[in-house]
Amino acid sequence: MRFALAVGTFLILVIHGVILYNQFSHKWEVHQIAYFNQAKAMAKGDAERASLEARSPRIEQTVVADFGETRVDRCITCHIAADDPRFATYQQPLKTHPYSTAMGDVQKNGKWERRHKFSEFGCTVCHDGQGRGLSPRDAHGEDEYWPDPLLGAATQENWRKDFVPMLRGKEYLEANCAQCHTGASFSGTPTVRRGMELFYASNCYGCHRIEGLSDGTIGPDLTEVGRKFKIDYIYARIKDPKSILATSIMPRFNMLSDPDIKALVVFLKSRKGKNFSETEMDRYRLRATGGAELVQAHIKPVAINPAQMAKQGEQLVLDRACTACHKLGAKDGAIAPDLSFEGLLKTPAWLEAHFRNPRSTMADSIMPAFRFTEDEFKAMTAYLSGLKAAPALPSPEATYKALCLRCHGDKGNGLGPIAEHLDPSPRDFTKAAFMNSKPMDRLVASVRKGVEGTSMPAWEKLLDENQAKAVLGYIQTAFVKEPRQEPKARAVPAVNPVASSPESIARGEATFLNRCTGCHGRKGDGKGPNALDILPKPRNLRNNLFMAGVGDPRLFESILYGVQGTAMPSWIDYGLSNNDVGDLVNFLRNFNPKPKGGQNAGTI
Amino acid sequence: MAVSRRRMLAWITGTGLVGSGVLSAISNFVFIKPRATYGQPQRFSIGKPDDYPAGTRIALDARRICVVREGNRIAAVSTTCTHLGCIVGLADTGFACPCHGSRFDSDGTVTGGPAPRPLPWYKITLAPNGEIEVDKDTEITPGSYLTL
Repeated sequence: MRFALAVGTFLILVIHGVILYNQFSHKWEVHQIAYFNQAKAMAKGDAERASLEARSPRIEQTVVADFGETRVDRCITCHIAADDPRFATYQQPLKTHPYSTAMGDVQKNGKWERRHKFSEFGCTVCHDGQGRGLSPRDAHGEDEYWPDPLLGAATQENWRKDFVPMLRGKEYLEANCAQCHTGASFSGTPTVRRGMELFYASNCYGCHRIEGLSDGTIGPDLTEVGRKFKIDYIYARIKDPKSILATSIMPRFNMLSDPDIKALVVFLKSRKGKNFSETEMDRYRLRATGGAELVQAHIKPVAINPAQMAKQGEQLVLDRACTACHKLGAKDGAIAPDLSFEGLLKTPAWLEAHFRNPRSTMADSIMPAFRFTEDEFKAMTAYLSGLKAAPALPSPEATYKALCLRCHGDKGNGLGPIAEHLDPSPRDFTKAAFMNSKPMDRLVASVRKGVEGTSMPAWEKLLDENQAKAVLGYIQTAFVKEPRQEPKARAVPAVNPVASSPESIARGEATFLNRCTGCHGRKGDGKGPNALDILPKPRNLRNNLFMAGVGDPRLFESILYGVQGTAMPSWIDYGLSNNDVGDLVNFLRNFNPKPKGGQNAGTI
Repeated sequence: MAVSRRRMLAWITGTGLVGSGVLSAISNFVFIKPRATYGQPQRFSIGKPDDYPAGTRIALDARRICVVREGNRIAAVSTTCTHLGCIVGLADTGFACPCHGSRFDSDGTVTGGPAPRPLPWYKITLAPNGEIEVDKDTEITPGSYLTL
């Protein structure tokens, strides 16, 4: 008992002593004492020596209020000689911050004067790092939970290893210069400018929004990306998007070199939502115009020479990152359809319309509408419509692999490499009920004429009727795995027996609201409450290209008898008559205006 | 001389208790004062001497000081009134409080009104980078200038 008491009290004494001792032996105090001693040795007069004598180590701080949230900047506690020109040749932390004309410093009477005074800007405004930290690990932001490590110098404990070699260099500092110096003529931030050019040249603006610079809606808004994410994360998201988020639909931009990606990272790191040099008036003007003039200023149009149109079009297709999504020859972005023989599948008019507004020719396309000039659209159209070299198709199996596999998949289950980006999804051939419920003519027509409003192209230029039947035969044996049975013809009216009238449409709407909205949704866009659980997804009945492409008999058949292999039931069993269906068809046709274009626009 | 175990333990216990007591007393003095606060620093630089030509009296309201330069002598006078802490303004005769009517001459000596004490003068030094540094933690005798 006495022994325990003795050990206990003694331990308390030791711990107490250690804590107290630590209060007097901070690293920063050591640095400050070293500074005072050396400065005293350099002092010119007694007064200066006396004032140094009077100073004792203490936490030096600057409170910076002009840059975002108020910052407490204690960096000069260790870097106490940062503004003392006599310490230019010393080692960190007792080293003068370099003077340079690039940073706006000027020489007057042989003495440097700073443009960015520490008392005004602090240190973290430019360098990042943790202003309040007093140990190098905290202050430099090596702590993994600190969002902004010291740019270009510090790496964090959990930093991506593949990125660490990329962090060398002061280019990252430019990201903070660009928080105020946004002008394109500013020479101090070449990497940011290069990144911004790449942001437009690589078509990032088509998907991503940055306030005042772009307004894409497919990808996340990048207005505040520099504030939200660390450098290594942004780098990895560009380098290989799926390595960070497995479900990311962002393409891998293989044509970007590592320095290019670095420039993009520095540019994105500079986007912190609010520019410190902007006034409220600037922001108001920017919002009022949507940043239109900025976009115009940044996108550099290519001068198109009529004689070399196709050639320049090819260059544009390669430069503007089309192959980041599309397949073209050996390049494959594995997101969007194959363009290798686009000239055989699509007309120039379709291609140009698709460039200008992808959704005008394919209702649910995820392709962004890019801002190219008229001439650029024409040049790219000229190039693509010249791609007429058909691939070798020696056997039905080879045909399937060359033309169908990318969407319908190597198992024929509609889950090809690019299927997740297509809406509607490619047909699942393993659903024998569907395949055997459609007459051969209809299947051949789908192959040869394509399906309007979907990604299924018209293969008629590549496949004659017999070849199409041969491919369907291959599909039947390889995927359907049931012998082909020609279905019995069903009794459906050849034309809608109910004439379209406001009354008929109102009756159709009532039926639609009662029977169809569970899956097809109140808007008929295929996004009803049950749609999440259904594969294939319910048809988007607002896809007016598709709706125009299918005739009344097919709508009647699908509604009356259902679609086998999908969730669409046979509505005869639920008591719908031909007249009810006629009203429904009138209602559906009524909210789908006649489409303007389409791959078979000429034939409709 | 043999020391018994019991005596030895009593010594250790006693040292521990008394030592901890002494350290606690010291700690009270050490820890009671915060190392840093979040306000603006009390020692700051106000730019080059060239920014203040001879004969100027410039009040820096954000810093609450008035920089006085006469010839090649320079000084910093507080502009915080010693009455209730208002910011005094520059007047022909020195300083004047706009709220309660205190008046000071150009040296900060009270010439009228409720102010109980003269305006303090702050220590001023020339930093190695050539800028003037004012230390509001240190008051000096009124009338002592820094000669440039």
